[in-house]
Amino acid sequence: MSDKKDPRKTFGEALAEAGEKNSRVMAISADSSSGSQMTMFKNKFPERHLEFGIMEPGITGICAGLATTGKIPVFATIAPFVTGRNFDQMKVDLGYMKQNVKVVGRCAGLSYYHLGPTHQSLEDVALMRTIPGMTILNPGDPVEIKAATLAMIEHVGPVFMKIGSDPMPVLFDESKYKFQLGKGITMKEGSDITIIGTGTVLCRAAEAADILEKEGVSVRLINIHTIKPLDNELILKAAEETGKIVTVEEHYTNGGLGGAVAELLAQNCPTEMRMIGVNDQFGSNGPYDELIGLYGLLGPQIADTCRKFLAKGKCSCCGG
Amino acid sequence: MYKLTDAEELELKKRAVQLRKNVLAIIKAGDAGHIGGALSATELMTALYYKVLKNIDPKNPKREDRDRFLMSAGHKCLIVYAVLAELGFFSKDLFSTYFKLNSKLPGHPDMHKLPGIESNTGSLGHGLPIAVGMAVGLNIDKSSSKVYVIMGDGELGEGTNWEAAAAASHHKTDNLVVMVDRNKFQLGGKTNDVMNFEPLADKWKAFGWSTRSIDGHNLKEIVDTLTDAPFEKGKPSLIICNTLKAKGISFLQDTAASHYWKVSPEQVVQAEKELDAVAKELGA
Repeated sequence: MSDKKDPRKTFGEALAEAGEKNSRVMAISADSSSGSQMTMFKNKFPERHLEFGIMEPGITGICAGLATTGKIPVFATIAPFVTGRNFDQMKVDLGYMKQNVKVVGRCAGLSYYHLGPTHQSLEDVALMRTIPGMTILNPGDPVEIKAATLAMIEHVGPVFMKIGSDPMPVLFDESKYKFQLGKGITMKEGSDITIIGTGTVLCRAAEAADILEKEGVSVRLINIHTIKPLDNELILKAAEETGKIVTVEEHYTNGGLGGAVAELLAQNCPTEMRMIGVNDQFGSNGPYDELIGLYGLLGPQIADTCRKFLAKGKCSCCGG
Repeated sequence: MYKLTDAEELELKKRAVQLRKNVLAIIKAGDAGHIGGALSATELMTALYYKVLKNIDPKNPKREDRDRFLMSAGHKCLIVYAVLAELGFFSKDLFSTYFKLNSKLPGHPDMHKLPGIESNTGSLGHGLPIAVGMAVGLNIDKSSSKVYVIMGDGELGEGTNWEAAAAASHHKTDNLVVMVDRNKFQLGGKTNDVMNFEPLADKWKAFGWSTRSIDGHNLKEIVDTLTDAPFEKGKPSLIICNTLKAKGISFLQDTAASHYWKVSPEQVVQAEKELDAVAKELGA
């Protein structure tokens, strides 16, 4: 891990770059341009930046209407307000109507660590997963955020992308990195256990893999930046070859990455799993690292969960 | 402003009866349907599709320079199906598939199943925001196309309408013309009893719209008004269209029960007779 970067700023830079490449790209703000780092785009292309104030459900419909005229609206604001508050519009206007709109939920997960559950977004992936045709991106480092932003704009169809707000370490070498929508990335080969990480906590999963590796455990580390469509092939292969799967996400353990992987495995390759995330409770508040630590999302905690999983070999709750 | 001649008005009246007959034919195939709102909006739809909307082409439904029409109250879709079939967007043979498995005529319209449908509505309060997005997009492109919307009056309770009302005014979408089909009934009874939105025109004015109020069954008045929009430069236009729910079928007209009509064969015969009589009177 090297230096850290602000995920929102990285998104903002990528959006401005996309705006250079494609004159149909528009930035749509819900009083959120500065918070979503769309100011750079606004300064470069003022005529392609539209402000609508705080009316996320209405704006989602407006974006669908803009898309029918060939524009590519990129609507970015605080994650729960573009997934939960506007869910019906996401479902009907973007999903059912198949409109080419890109919705970016920033400060997702527990990013608003002091502001509590109204602003935290632990259900966004669960909600978006139920919408047919909705692509869900959750990039895991600044290099991937940039690549995912450019890829989502190139992709034709509705996309939801979530990003955090805490500075993220750079995990990938930009000169070698290739983003392929719907394809996971094996960051490390291994045969004893697979850790599948996504988004803001991919770096924590990577830290856990390093810890375990030093203890002699052969860990496979997979980065799932596209939660829908899921890379079934890569995950099934890992399940067959390593036998144990641990998912790591800054999201509820139901309905998110863990849920998606469990649905896949249960029907195709029943495999023991551990799901690390927030378990059926509203997020608390406090300093970010301490807060994610409440839910076992720090690197050493993830390593510990893996250790126990490997030691027991079977279900930790019933020992069966 | 376009003034209808008496001959043109008569022609449109004949069209309107035919559209009502189409609505009835569709409902007959499924034994039920949202007839009340379809028939209250029949004259509005007749005026729009036969006199007002520009560059509507069944052979090229996605023509770029077309005016857009959105039925925000998606449950009124039977009148949309009625007019699109009459214009040749699809065959009237589809009427018999209504409520059958995988029918292209669902109870709310699906733009991916039929040509000529601009948006998927049904969940209320969606049409206006989408229309505002279209209007803004067309303005950016310096297009001369306009966007027309019919909303239900019961639908006004959805907050997204008021979000969109503010946005339309703020972004000066004077290419947007909205008709509120003010039939004064919603599922649960009279709109003013269920949730009173009066004074309605004042509310839209306060949101920055230019408003008018008309008889929503008077074709001359409808065409006059629609072709006079925008009423003020830089402002979106709102027309309160006073109508009668289920207009044209005596035993359903002006009743809350007509909102969703479960049909009996005897009632269909009666309704057909009434529409035939009107057609005959008009010389259709």
